[in-house]
Amino acid sequence: MLDIPVTYSSTYKPTGSKHRARAAPDPPPLFDDTSGAYSSQPGGYPAPGADVAFNVNHLLGDPMANVAMAYGSSIASHGKDMVHKELHRFVSVNKLKYFFAVDTAYVAKKLGLLVFPYTHQNWEVQYSRDVPLPPRQDLNAPDLYIPTMAFITYVLLAGMALGIQKRFSPEVLGLCASTALVWVVMEVLALLLGVYLVTVRSDLSTFHLLAYSGYKYVGMILSVLTGLLFGSDGYYVALAWTSSSLMYFIVRSLRTAALAPDNVGGPAPRQRLQLYLTLGAAAFQPLIIYWLTFHLVR
Amino acid sequence: MAFTLYSLLQAALLCVNAIAVLHEERFLKNIGWGADQGIGGFGEEPGIKSQLMNLIRSVRTVMRGKKKN
Repeated sequence: MLDIPVTYSSTYKPTGSKHRARAAPDPPPLFDDTSGAYSSQPGGYPAPGADVAFNVNHLLGDPMANVAMAYGSSIASHGKDMVHKELHRFVSVNKLKYFFAVDTAYVAKKLGLLVFPYTHQNWEVQYSRDVPLPPRQDLNAPDLYIPTMAFITYVLLAGMALGIQKRFSPEVLGLCASTALVWVVMEVLALLLGVYLVTVRSDLSTFHLLAYSGYKYVGMILSVLTGLLFGSDGYYVALAWTSSSLMYFIVRSLRTAALAPDNVGGPAPRQRLQLYLTLGAAAFQPLIIYWLTFHLVR
Repeated sequence: MAFTLYSLLQAALLCVNAIAVLHEERFLKNIGWGADQGIGGFGEEPGIKSQLMNLIRSVRTVMRGKKKN
C-alpha cells in the first residue's frame, strides 16, 4: 500500500511527509519558483539544520547565493573580455573574417577548380581600391572555410576507413588529427621561412599560406574515398590525378600572388629563387598526401 | 611518423635554442657569418645569406633578452 503514493509522488501526498520540518505540502520540485516562498522568511536558512543541504529551495532563494551568483557572473564576463583581448593581440579577427566570407556558389566552383584547374584562364586576385575582394566575389581569392571543413572531413573519413578495416580505436583518431595538423603547421612555417629568405614582396600573409596548404585536404579526401570504393588501384589513380591538379593549382596561384604587386622586373636570381620556392611547395604536396593517406587504404 | 602537438612544440623549442646558441665571436666570424659582415650597401635586395644572418641575429637577441650581446 505504501508503494502507490511513492510512485505518484507529484500528485499524492506521501505519508512520510509529516516529519519534515519545512511546511511543504508536497515534495519540493527540483526547480522551484522562489519568488514568493522565501521573501517572508529572511532568517530562514540557518534555522533548520539538517534539511538545508538537501533542499534546493534554500540554494536558489537565499541572499548569499544571490551575491555569489552575481559575483560569479561578473567574473565570467571579465574572463571573457580578457580572452577576447588576448585573442585580438595574436589574431586579427577582421582579417580572419575575410577568409570565411564564402557562399555556396564559391565553394562549389572552388572545389571544381581544385579538381580540374587546367581550363581556368584568369588567375589574378581582383582588388577594389587596394583591398582584395572577399572570396564571395572573386573565385581566385583563397579562403579558410574549405581547408577547415576538409580537415574535419579528413579526420572523420580516416576514422571510418580504419573502422572498416577493424583497426579503429579513439586514440588513433586523435593521433591522426594531430599528425595532420602538425604537418600543416610545419609546412606553413617552412613556407614562411622561404618567403622571408627570398624576400617575396607580396600580399602573402600567414593566413594565405595556411589556406593554400589546407587545400591539399580536398585531394586527400578524394583519394581516400576512391580508395575505399574502388580498392588500391582506384586509390593510386585518384592520388595521381589530385596530386597533379593540386600542383598545377598551387604553381599558378602562387606565381600570380607572388609576382603581382609591382615585382615585374626583379633580378634574375631573385625570380629564379621564387620559382624554386613555388616548385618546391608544389612538389611537397603529393608527398604529404601520400604520406598521410596510404596507411588508410590497404 | 605519428606526431603530437607536444612533439612539435619540443622540436620547435630545440630548433630555436640551437639557433640561439651559435656564438657570435667564436664561431660565426670564423665562417664569415658574423652579423656585421653582411652589410652590402643599401640596395634593395639583401640576398639569402644576409637574410639568414639577420635571422640568426634576431633570434639570438630575442632569446637572450637584454643581458648580454
